[in-house]
Amino acid sequence: MRKPAGLAILMTIGLALAGGAAPGDKAALAKKQNSLNSEYALAKESQFYFVLDVLGRKLELRVRGMVLRSWPLQSMRFWGKPEFSGNVELVRKTTLKAPQRIVIKPGGEEKAAPAPAPADKPAAANAAPANPAEFELEALELKDMPKRFSLDFDNGLHVTVRSENAGSGGLLRGLGEAWGWYVYLPLRNLFGRGEGKGLSELELIFDGDKDAQAIYWHFFDGIKGIIL
Amino acid sequence: MKRILIAGAALLYLGFLAVLGGAYYIGLKQAAAWPPREDGRAIADKDLPKVTRNVQQIERRMSALLPRGLYIVIDTAENRLYLKNGTDIVRTAVVSCGSGVVLEESGGKNRSWVFDTPRGEFSVKSKITNPYWVKPDWAFIEEGEAIPKGLEERIEAGTLGDYALGFGEGYFIHGTLYTRLLGRNVTHGCVRVGDEDLKAVFKAVPLGA
Repeated sequence: MRKPAGLAILMTIGLALAGGAAPGDKAALAKKQNSLNSEYALAKESQFYFVLDVLGRKLELRVRGMVLRSWPLQSMRFWGKPEFSGNVELVRKTTLKAPQRIVIKPGGEEKAAPAPAPADKPAAANAAPANPAEFELEALELKDMPKRFSLDFDNGLHVTVRSENAGSGGLLRGLGEAWGWYVYLPLRNLFGRGEGKGLSELELIFDGDKDAQAIYWHFFDGIKGIIL
Repeated sequence: MKRILIAGAALLYLGFLAVLGGAYYIGLKQAAAWPPREDGRAIADKDLPKVTRNVQQIERRMSALLPRGLYIVIDTAENRLYLKNGTDIVRTAVVSCGSGVVLEESGGKNRSWVFDTPRGEFSVKSKITNPYWVKPDWAFIEEGEAIPKGLEERIEAGTLGDYALGFGEGYFIHGTLYTRLLGRNVTHGCVRVGDEDLKAVFKAVPLGA
């Protein structure tokens, strides 16, 4: 009878020791609680929202807690102190050359090219391209989306999204971008702090063009999200 | 005079480099301090069980939000339809979604239409076999035709395929004659699906999904 009692005492001591969780575990739990609370507030609205997992190196589009699209980050860099707490809302999406919608006004002034006309009858075999991807359509498609653009959020965070190939645009453009990142932003970060305006600049680089283009497609003005 | 100018330019340049160096130093310090360390003092030991229960409760609530049974996800960028059950993809179909074109009516009414496939969460509100298309005003305006007065002049059979699933506001998932254009953004907002995939989706998905 002493053995089971002794075992019980040992088990109790073991459980008591295990109950004292390490600081790292408590920190992770606190962070998990905060992020779940933020995400639940968005998920219950049944609207699309995004989750930028900075440490996990991925950007996800979700609804009701379900991942619809996931884009892995190739790399990331930042200046300043990006604030990653709570929910954020996209205020503005900017790019050098935003994709334009085709506008059709039959019978009036022509504002744009004719509407896309699907083929009614099969054309001559040697005239029609065999691959549907080769049809030149006047429509807004994924390939028309920019590969480099900026997202401004309501907490002051400015995120530049680009594909790896979007960075290469000639020597002048490269020099301009290098100047912007290595000279202008550090100086703005330095002098902005003095004026009480912290810089919060993040650049996300994705592997393929399609990833950046899909993000531009899916991110509408007003979309909310959390940044972990 | 020349020496003074050169000295001044050199001092200016060195000053600029010093400021830039200072900016880099501050930037590097900020980068080193990120992500912010949490030393676990955020949760007291006595609150740990409560926080753990709270996390589990939120996780249960999040799980409860997920759709039950089969559901459809349409990616308008990639023109793909996914029939899903939980996290499993049951079937993938190549579809056609909205073209994004804007049609403006010339003349008195000045109406306009944007041919986007709507984004958001919807439910299957109707399931129709052998649907016929009741052409809306824009279908005539787009072709430069007069808008008919009678309903019978608007009805067109055979263009929507064998099945149609309505998800509200006049939008449908339906068949198409233009199968060669599946995978491209060519529609006026509806989602066009190939015959085989449409049949499978129609049979599998219940009303309300």
